[in-house]
Amino acid sequence: MSQVPANGRPLLEVDDLRTYFPVRRGVFLRTVGHVKAVDGVSFSIQPGRTLGLVGESGCGKSTVGRTLLRLIPATSGSVRYKGEDFFSYRGEELRKLRRQMQIVFQDPVSSLNPRMTVGNIIGEPMQVHGLASGSGRDEMVAGLLERVGLDPAYVTRYPHEFSGGQRQRIGIARALALNPNFIVCDEAVSALDVSIQSQILNLLGDLQKERGIAYLFIAHNLAVVEHISDDVAVMYLGRIVEQASARDLYSNPKHPYTMALLSAVPELNPRPRRRRIVLPGEVPSAVNPPGGCPFHPRCHLTRQAASDADATETAEITVGGTKLRVLRRCAEEMPVLEQKQAEPGHCAACWVTK
Amino acid sequence: MEPSAQPILDVRNLSVAFNSGPRQITPVRDVSFSIYPGQTVALVGESGCGKSVTALSILRLIPSPPGRVVQGTVGFGGRDLLSLPEPEMRGVRGGKIAMIFQEPMTSLNPVYSIGEQIAEAIVLHQRVKTAQAYEIAEQALRDVGIADPARRLQEYPHVLSGGMRQRVMIAMALSCRPQLLIADEPTTALDVTIQAQILELLRKLQRETGMAILLITHDLGVVAENADVVNVMYASRIVESAAVEDLFDRPMHPYTAGLFRSVPKLGARAERLAAIPGTVPNPAQFPGGCKFHPRCARARELAARAAAEATTEIMSDGESFRVPRRCASEEPLLREMEPRHWAACHQVAGYDEKPPTEPRIEHKRASVVQVDGEVTA
Amino acid sequence: MTSSTATSVMTGAKAPAARPRSLMAIVLRDTVSQLGARLAVAWIGLLILGAVFGPFIANSFPLIARVDGRWESPMWRYLVPTDVVLLVVFIATIILCGVRQMTVPVKVGIVIWLLALVIPLALWAVLARDLSWYRHEYGTGLVVISLGVAFGLDLAVLVLVPLKLPLSSRQWTILGLFAAALTGILVLHPVKPPTTIIYDQYRELGRAGRMQFSLPAPVPYSPTDRLRDQPDAQLLAPDTRHWMGTEINGADVFSRMIHASRVALAIGFIATGIAIVAGCAVGGVMGYFSGRVDMLGMRLLEIFEAIPTLFLLISCVAFFGRSLYLVMVIIGLTSWSGYARFVRAEFLRLRNQDFVLAAIAAGLPLRSVLFRHMLPNGLVPVLVSASFGVASAILSESVLSFLGLGLIDEPSWGDLLNQATGQGGTFTWWLAVFPGLAIFLTVFSYNLIGEALRDALDPKLRDGASD
Repeated sequence: MSQVPANGRPLLEVDDLRTYFPVRRGVFLRTVGHVKAVDGVSFSIQPGRTLGLVGESGCGKSTVGRTLLRLIPATSGSVRYKGEDFFSYRGEELRKLRRQMQIVFQDPVSSLNPRMTVGNIIGEPMQVHGLASGSGRDEMVAGLLERVGLDPAYVTRYPHEFSGGQRQRIGIARALALNPNFIVCDEAVSALDVSIQSQILNLLGDLQKERGIAYLFIAHNLAVVEHISDDVAVMYLGRIVEQASARDLYSNPKHPYTMALLSAVPELNPRPRRRRIVLPGEVPSAVNPPGGCPFHPRCHLTRQAASDADATETAEITVGGTKLRVLRRCAEEMPVLEQKQAEPGHCAACWVTK
Repeated sequence: MEPSAQPILDVRNLSVAFNSGPRQITPVRDVSFSIYPGQTVALVGESGCGKSVTALSILRLIPSPPGRVVQGTVGFGGRDLLSLPEPEMRGVRGGKIAMIFQEPMTSLNPVYSIGEQIAEAIVLHQRVKTAQAYEIAEQALRDVGIADPARRLQEYPHVLSGGMRQRVMIAMALSCRPQLLIADEPTTALDVTIQAQILELLRKLQRETGMAILLITHDLGVVAENADVVNVMYASRIVESAAVEDLFDRPMHPYTAGLFRSVPKLGARAERLAAIPGTVPNPAQFPGGCKFHPRCARARELAARAAAEATTEIMSDGESFRVPRRCASEEPLLREMEPRHWAACHQVAGYDEKPPTEPRIEHKRASVVQVDGEVTA
Repeated sequence: MTSSTATSVMTGAKAPAARPRSLMAIVLRDTVSQLGARLAVAWIGLLILGAVFGPFIANSFPLIARVDGRWESPMWRYLVPTDVVLLVVFIATIILCGVRQMTVPVKVGIVIWLLALVIPLALWAVLARDLSWYRHEYGTGLVVISLGVAFGLDLAVLVLVPLKLPLSSRQWTILGLFAAALTGILVLHPVKPPTTIIYDQYRELGRAGRMQFSLPAPVPYSPTDRLRDQPDAQLLAPDTRHWMGTEINGADVFSRMIHASRVALAIGFIATGIAIVAGCAVGGVMGYFSGRVDMLGMRLLEIFEAIPTLFLLISCVAFFGRSLYLVMVIIGLTSWSGYARFVRAEFLRLRNQDFVLAAIAAGLPLRSVLFRHMLPNGLVPVLVSASFGVASAILSESVLSFLGLGLIDEPSWGDLLNQATGQGGTFTWWLAVFPGLAIFLTVFSYNLIGEALRDALDPKLRDGASD
């Protein structure tokens, strides 16, 4: 699969990652099908850079983050960290390597153990990995708290005493405690108030500059992703449908789904200029995705193309009770992620756009 | 819209208190706004600012105890909803004023079919036979763009997706032709493409029925594209109230201005966001004076230039700085700084010359979002 | 003034000045703050006092007596090891709770601990060589009192000091084993009650005029003292001498009631303890590993749930004889399935909680993930249902005793109830009312505590109170 050309060795290379969840039924849990949450995703991340991963709920973006940290077992595919196959690590070696890859979660309530003090939440991983103990540990915890903008005196407090934004700062301090090279930010600012969200985004940006941490920034808010990312990948039904540098992707989207997503974001302007593409229907189920291009039943480009095309090249499909004509190729053949002519490294999986 | 129309809903000086243990907290204080027929009025603010409590107290839905309205009136059709007897209030709820909630997953009862739930409300409010109610329900589902409504009526909520359920909720709310729809974060739980569908649907239904909408949200983009009049709430009070164009062109309150600056915007790649410092205050511990002063950039700037005796030192989030004494001691009230534009800030130019008044803004936005494609599901 | 309000707002904490409290501490405080729960805790406290100080409250032997011009404390001589263990543990717990805030520097702590270990051993060596002063003229009583107090304090030090030290779990285990072994040696060796007990001997001495002074226990009858020196002592109605009357064999009911609280508490706590440990182990494994393990575990649970506990109890008692421990084990082993279901459900939920994923992502060992991060959060519903479980275990034992399958010579409330209806169809009201009331109050108390715990833990009520 195509990849953004690398200048130097990537920190993380994900190749053809698949995560299927079995759908089980009955007393003996017979497998009756699979939810293809992640279905052949490939990308790479350079040290100190940010890849944004956007898509709607259920598209598999969170599963990607969790699978590549091995919090969920992968069905197939590989993840190479600094050139080494991360999926082949076992036991003690795996625990040691986990240190370098951390995660910040969406929900500031459930991501901190309610029974532990802030000092222990941040300090335990350090101690377990032998980075610090005793008074050295306390000093490091205090330093981290200060770095993320909290009072070091908070070490003895419990998570329930903090507001959402403060908890998210604690979550970031915990991720930083092990001095990682790579952090998965899984909707890290989505649950926060607008005025707090910008504080956390600034903090994440500053930390990246200081420590050269690479981020996989998973979010559904396109404006936030554009703000923080160097490169962006758009996911739909477990696949990446478009991947490019943030600038290219937002200024010149090549995939019809990306176009629709971008047009759907409300403008902060009482006199909106963009025309909105309203997609018909809902995201299909990942248990039984449509054949061919998974986006074709909702795609506006293929409908336009079909109205201009020869009747032999089109096919009729039924969506939610209404009949539509689409390109035959879109309905039958799965498009691959390929370079679109416009810019180097700008890939999209679509038969219609050139 | 006729210039001399009467507001359909007139909230005056509404204050709501909750008993929390030995203390009493006031999540809504002195809130006044009006909604005219066909208008969309937005209440926008962050968590804990009191916007949802305001909406619930209009329909007298706040749990009591511990909550109670301590002051104010809610004028609707010439009557005060707050003093209406409960049986009459039941007629208003779901009849003349309908409400839709944020969480479409939990607001439908899973043990009844969609049809049963919509028909029940129709039978109750319109005094029709059940068979007739089903016909109205089918039409209501068709109106909200649900394909094959006759089959959907037989289905149970669990088979529907989030966007579908929100459509069903809207259909149920609109089946009795309400004059006012209260939409409490109607699209927060939905994806952005589904949000676009639902908002377009609401705009379409408003054009067709002429109902008024009270839109409660934290999303400034949703406000910018849908509201006619915007009320910005912060820590239990409305701090700014204006026609949508005026508010977005010239925000007066430093909180509103700070919010606009701190939101990342599509297509504008800034290196750093201008964040508002500090945390969103908890209703149990609002600061004194202007409730925004511990986070206010304008107050700090002015204090740095002002004489020492006009300022006072405060501690906030472990940081110590000076703000104007007045900001820390005296609570500002809404004053009409420009036509159709109220703000509550001591430091807006000309604030002292104007008298405190309650906002009433009769305004309809000029431009609407252009849409490609149909909104059926 | 302004600045202070601003500060308290902006810290974002709910109790800015107060010492930080864990969620559990708040829950406990909320539980105990309810009136019903308070009364219930008071009643259970009364039972605990009865269980610990039973021998001091109800005993045929005087606490202090002067016989033939010699002072002695005969009560102490008849203490059994259980009495002493309970007493020592109780004292140690009280001391522990009292000095929780204290912290000790590591080196000082280890020195104190070693001294506490060495001194009693040395003392013991001296005592063992020369036991002649054991028969000192002041009587064995005072010797045992002083030894008991000394050893109790020593044990407290042994337990306390390590608690205040930052130690690894391995060091902890070693210290714990040391302390347990020492307790065993210290307590069991000197406590050797006479094998034949003549309950009426001091009453005889009194009647013979050989006792110049005597301070009897508040209830001067041991639970197994059948008043053989008094004719027609059986089934006496309550009066000033026997506050709750006497039972079929002539033993004092009040005394038996007090001593029976030990059985009631033990059966409840130990049976429930066994059930919780088994339930947490099985449920935890099922929930954490899920999939096939979970499926097999569920079938195992269903098998255990199909066993009728009472019939199993009755047949086991018939086969293996009557034993309190057997009853506890059986009740424990048949009632764990409920806890296993709770823990399984909790672990299934917790396994996908972000803080557990974060712990795994931080490379923490499985032990830490399971026991530090998941178990404390999954125990909440178990605690609530355990309080109901204790109540039902007490009921099971009472039912067994009522059916005449209980303990033979140990006092038990159910056994007293059983005697209320005699063979001849007679009904003895005091044998029904008092133990019945005690069972009712105890079960009710545990239910009240369980109810209060559940309320305190309910997140909805909690949010309603704070926002």
